[in-house]
Amino acid sequence: MAVKFFGQYLVEQGIVASQALLNAIHIQEKNNLKLGELAVTMGLITPADIERVHTIQASRDIKLGDLLVEMKLLSLDQLNDVLTRQKNTHLYIGEALVMVGALTGDQLKSHLEAFSADQAKYLSNDVELPITSPNSAIWEMTADLTYKMVTRLLGLQFKTGLCVAVTTIPANFMLAAIDFIGDVEGRYLILVSEELQKTIARAILSEESVDHEPVEVLDDTVMEFVNVVCGNVVAKASQMGVIMNIKPPVAIRPPAGGLPIAEGWIALSFPLHISNGDTMELILQIRE
Amino acid sequence: MKKVLIVDDSLSVARQLEKIISESSDFTSVGHAKNGAEAIKMNHSENPDIICMDMNMPGMDGLTALRTLSVMDKDVKVVMVTSLGGVGDKFTEALKLGAKNVISKPFESDTVLRILREL
Repeated sequence: MAVKFFGQYLVEQGIVASQALLNAIHIQEKNNLKLGELAVTMGLITPADIERVHTIQASRDIKLGDLLVEMKLLSLDQLNDVLTRQKNTHLYIGEALVMVGALTGDQLKSHLEAFSADQAKYLSNDVELPITSPNSAIWEMTADLTYKMVTRLLGLQFKTGLCVAVTTIPANFMLAAIDFIGDVEGRYLILVSEELQKTIARAILSEESVDHEPVEVLDDTVMEFVNVVCGNVVAKASQMGVIMNIKPPVAIRPPAGGLPIAEGWIALSFPLHISNGDTMELILQIRE
Repeated sequence: MKKVLIVDDSLSVARQLEKIISESSDFTSVGHAKNGAEAIKMNHSENPDIICMDMNMPGMDGLTALRTLSVMDKDVKVVMVTSLGGVGDKFTEALKLGAKNVISKPFESDTVLRILREL
């Protein structure tokens, strides 16, 4: 039911033992050299060059390959040679598992097919942002994954409203928020009414009634929904080559006038019109 | 009957896991810790056979606690239960630190029980 990578799927399903996966990952780590390591192995640069480039790269937002060319340590042709060799010699986890004897070739094929079917529900992305952002693909995926989780985890039917930029986070009964840190920074917020909070609590706790639940449990169910969505966003982002992490979720009671958006940030509102007439609002706060 | 300690800052996840565990005659819950530091204390006081532990918690996180538990108690079996299970680096780090498995959130009760029984 969650975004997974192939090795994790195999261990969680009990198909491959965790030690066998670690052995396969060890082979992968030895085989799949990073760009700089491979360039050193090919005799194009020295380990001292790499150390120097990494020091400079720490203060600049530039890819290692581009920096190596800029510093004339590699020509463009040499960089392309290294990238081609890196691609052609890449060992996938499934191949490594066959090498350590954890799977046969036929088993690999059939489990890959089952894995693809399991993950197919997370592949499509129908969201488009009304603004241009360097990380549009990540935010579009975030909104799309939210829609999928609202359907699958909460069992709610809804129609999406128009996504618009807002200058204030509107007032509502409560909101749950999580901060994204890493390559892409931002804040993820879900705003709900009191009734919608109870609907979420019933789904998360698998209870028919939550009328006697304390406030902290009801708040926690919305925070946990946000935590599950954002954890899966981080997993999906890692598959897209973007390293992100999340902080623990928080619950906030917005004041009557709403919450202002800090300078230098943009907030995008994605309304979800639930079939019972209620509205859930996803807000993504991203750097301008 | 194996004793299970649940470690998660979320009250609702603790409730979900306690419900799953209580429905099986193979396991009994010995408590709920809200972060890694509490988990280490409760591992000492409750002596569980299995710990189901979240990664992303305020205070001491799950991977830090796992690192300590792996050194302090060679017998306890730790399963991470986390929304970050699908992140390759986190998953691999958990296994390298000694976790027996990693269950992704959202989870299904059948998956949780199968993995706990396999330990």
